[in-house]
Amino acid sequence: MDRALFVAASGMAAQQSNLETIADNLANAGVVGFKGSAQRFAELVAPGGSGIGTVALGARVFFAQGKLARSGGPFDLAIDGPGFFILRDRDGRRLYSRDGQFSRAADGTLRTSNDLRLEGIRIPSDALAATVGDDGTVTAKFNRGTRTIGHIRLAEFAAPELLHPLDGTCFEATPQAGAATRVTPGAHDGPALRFGMLEQSNVTIVEAMMQILTAQRAYEANAKGVQAADEMLRIANNLQRG
Amino acid sequence: MVAARTRLEIATQNLANVSTGGFRRVEARGFLSALGVTITRQTSAQRGALRRTGRDLDLAILGEGEFRVRDAAGRISATRDGAFVRGTDGTLRDSRGRVVLGVHGALSVPSGAALDARDFGLPRESRVQTGFLEAPAVNAVAEMIDVLAAQRSFESAEKTVAAIDGTRQKAADAARIR
Repeated sequence: MDRALFVAASGMAAQQSNLETIADNLANAGVVGFKGSAQRFAELVAPGGSGIGTVALGARVFFAQGKLARSGGPFDLAIDGPGFFILRDRDGRRLYSRDGQFSRAADGTLRTSNDLRLEGIRIPSDALAATVGDDGTVTAKFNRGTRTIGHIRLAEFAAPELLHPLDGTCFEATPQAGAATRVTPGAHDGPALRFGMLEQSNVTIVEAMMQILTAQRAYEANAKGVQAADEMLRIANNLQRG
Repeated sequence: MVAARTRLEIATQNLANVSTGGFRRVEARGFLSALGVTITRQTSAQRGALRRTGRDLDLAILGEGEFRVRDAAGRISATRDGAFVRGTDGTLRDSRGRVVLGVHGALSVPSGAALDARDFGLPRESRVQTGFLEAPAVNAVAEMIDVLAAQRSFESAEKTVAAIDGTRQKAADAARIR
């Protein structure tokens, strides 16, 4: 019974972390560039071959493409295909994200809402407007004609699922994920940039709701297992009377 | 009472793994012997339904066979959980970081490569379905009923023990009077 107690409790703990992951997905379902994650589980087996419960292995991010939606921002970009925007924080550290809501800062750089700078582009102060092509070429319009002012490159990883998530949209390189390879968007089998569009999160609300219900019921079932084991222990303890 | 305890352990194990991909439920088989009821464990042959994920490295086996994986210590084990990722070195790895083995050792998958059953050394009639995972073959309702049944049978065993104990007590009292 003590083992049954432990096994059922491990099931409750696993479903708890499952619920946390799903709740996080649901909370960020409306965040541009957000990638949902899923909890993974493994069976625990004792050396004798008999099962001793389950364990949550941790959440893994799903990099499935989110829907592209037309937006109103003047520097909105979306990646159609794999890859990440290469961003720099205040300390010059490189970060990777698929959130393409950029705005122009006073110094001409393009920055995300949390003040990360898009690498490789600076818009001159006398530019009237700028557009970005599918291949990442940034063209600015001046009083006297138009001129190319830079190229936006993307980063790709051998194993993007092993990147370290800093928040729902921003990732840090890890040795497991491999070195970032720079790619020029617009190649026929690679990613392309979409100017004036944003990538929505890849979380489906209906699916997440369904997952919550399943996780909750699984949690309850395991709690009943704990109760049954406890009850049997109580009976065993009462066997010796007087 | 020992048999009821084993049944409870088996049912809770199945319940705990209600979300573990590729898990196959363990069945309790009871045998009557001179010493009472003995419970043995047997892994069920029943497989879980396929669940669509859309990831290109989620693989489900249609038919017989298992994926072979090798951990860091070199131990080889078999699994039907096909939630794989591509490692830095291009090899295919499972959700616990173990290397997936093909016919000739570790499998390397270039980005966008299609995998089929022969790459994994699966039986000829089996196929591999990309973008799907095998859901655990556990029915939570059936396991719940098993938990309750085990509990009740433990209770009735306890009543029997108490009755036998009572009879012996009376016999001992009778012997004392004489």
